[in-house]
Amino acid sequence: MMKVSNLTHYYNKDLALENINLQIKSGEFVAIIGESGSGKSTLLSILSTLLKPTSGDIVYEGTNYKDIKNIDDFRKNNIGFIFQFHYLINYLSVKENINLANEKASKEEIFDLLKLLGIENLIDKYPNEISGGQRQRVAIARALINNPKVIFADEPTGNLDSKNSLNVFEIFKSLCEKGTTIIVATHDKELANLTNKIYEVKDGKIQ
Amino acid sequence: MKALMANKLKTLLILLSLIFSIVSIFLISSISNGVISMYSSMLKSDGDIIVTQAKISDTFFSNIDINLMERIDKIEGVKISSALIVGASPVEKLPIVAIYGSSDNRFNKYTLLSGQYPKKDEVIVGNSIYNQLNDKTQVQIANKTFKISGVFKSEIGFENGGVVLTIKDAGEIFNKSASMILVNSQLDANTNKIIESIKNLSNDIDVKSTQSFVDNYNQFKIIQTSSNVVSFVAFSMGLLGIVSLMSITVNQRKSEFGIKRALGISTSKIVYSIMVESFILGLISFISAYLLSNIILFFVKNAKELQGYVNGEISTQLAFYVFVASILMSILGSIIPALNAAKTDPVELIQGNKI
Repeated sequence: MMKVSNLTHYYNKDLALENINLQIKSGEFVAIIGESGSGKSTLLSILSTLLKPTSGDIVYEGTNYKDIKNIDDFRKNNIGFIFQFHYLINYLSVKENINLANEKASKEEIFDLLKLLGIENLIDKYPNEISGGQRQRVAIARALINNPKVIFADEPTGNLDSKNSLNVFEIFKSLCEKGTTIIVATHDKELANLTNKIYEVKDGKIQ
Repeated sequence: MKALMANKLKTLLILLSLIFSIVSIFLISSISNGVISMYSSMLKSDGDIIVTQAKISDTFFSNIDINLMERIDKIEGVKISSALIVGASPVEKLPIVAIYGSSDNRFNKYTLLSGQYPKKDEVIVGNSIYNQLNDKTQVQIANKTFKISGVFKSEIGFENGGVVLTIKDAGEIFNKSASMILVNSQLDANTNKIIESIKNLSNDIDVKSTQSFVDNYNQFKIIQTSSNVVSFVAFSMGLLGIVSLMSITVNQRKSEFGIKRALGISTSKIVYSIMVESFILGLISFISAYLLSNIILFFVKNAKELQGYVNGEISTQLAFYVFVASILMSILGSIIPALNAAKTDPVELIQGNKI
């Protein structure tokens, strides 16, 4: 599904990633682990098309990222993203926050998706009316609304307690079973052990 | 709309900034247009040709021989001519009051509410000024006392707030024969031919059609130019206000734009959404400013202290121009902040920075 070859990235003159090679298959649940500043978030940014690498190739289902003409459309149609902070917009309801990713999604579709995540009763609530764990589930729903083939999650449990963190990973696992590829950056090795494959990034290199 | 409501204070500040700018443009434009329109309607209602002293740029300083009237009346196509002296003088506690010396044949222009038209040493006073006089029987103009023989009303603020006396009395006060002669031509007459004939009567006079006079009158040009300059300054101040306030607002909403970028929403869509917000702000501001300006103009028009001289009206044309200016102001003012917002780097979000 995704093949990364000789990927190197510099921030100005600072080396962030060096000669990364990895391969991710469709439906895999992959963890990228590493200490803070190790380069895992940079790797995630590059894999999710948010950042252009200094050199190297990423081929996604036969298409090299370098050949994609409309990166916004590509991202919208293929990739879902979950941030460390939920980044829900406070003045929009749960439904409207999800509609940001897909404005054509109907209330029924959103309701069904929220039901899958066990938060269908929150559809008309606002982010400041729900708990941290519920907000992160809404963020997951927002990432799922376009039926992406791959979801990138950067420290998705960073602000959650252990119970909610486990819940989020269980949701990821069930999504993988349905064929979605999940790539999670985390520093929590216990949670990483719940995935199928672990890549450890240290000083910009895969160990 | 929800984004605007979510940032109530900043939205209110942007609205106020826009509203004050638009109200300034409305007021300065409508009041200056009102001044021009009052004076030009006064001249136009008297005839289609105007005779003034040659090489004098202001009718207040013009002095022409009133005896020309007799010779003008004899020109073929001329229906009637009348003479007018325009001046200003303090009256009682009012520092400046318009004084009109009128030839007898144009007194009927003033609709009497009471009394009769003035004879020697008499005046009629406009309704607006009459209400402000302490002594309603006589007025003193330039050390000379005149009996008030009547009160008139006029739709033209300059007249309604003025004093009218015989041209002979006015001539003695202002030491001139006439400021201008206003010529009314017959319906089928050739105005240009009449103008040429009048010009041949004297080298000391300037003769123009009233329309041409109004279009080229230097005082009107000065008022119009000043109004345009002040309007432009108000526009620029409003524009700068919007740029700075929108920049602050957009900066505070960076995480929102960052998340949108990460979700695959294109930069053009983000710019468009901010433009739509700005358009809504511009529209609300325009409507509010239009209503507020009309209220202010109503009070200005009826303020006794202003003697009815300040009389602005917002024409459809002016409202249209100001509407375009308002929308331009709000949209131009948000272009730079919108482009900055669209450039928000979602990578900063991904790296855990709360932008």
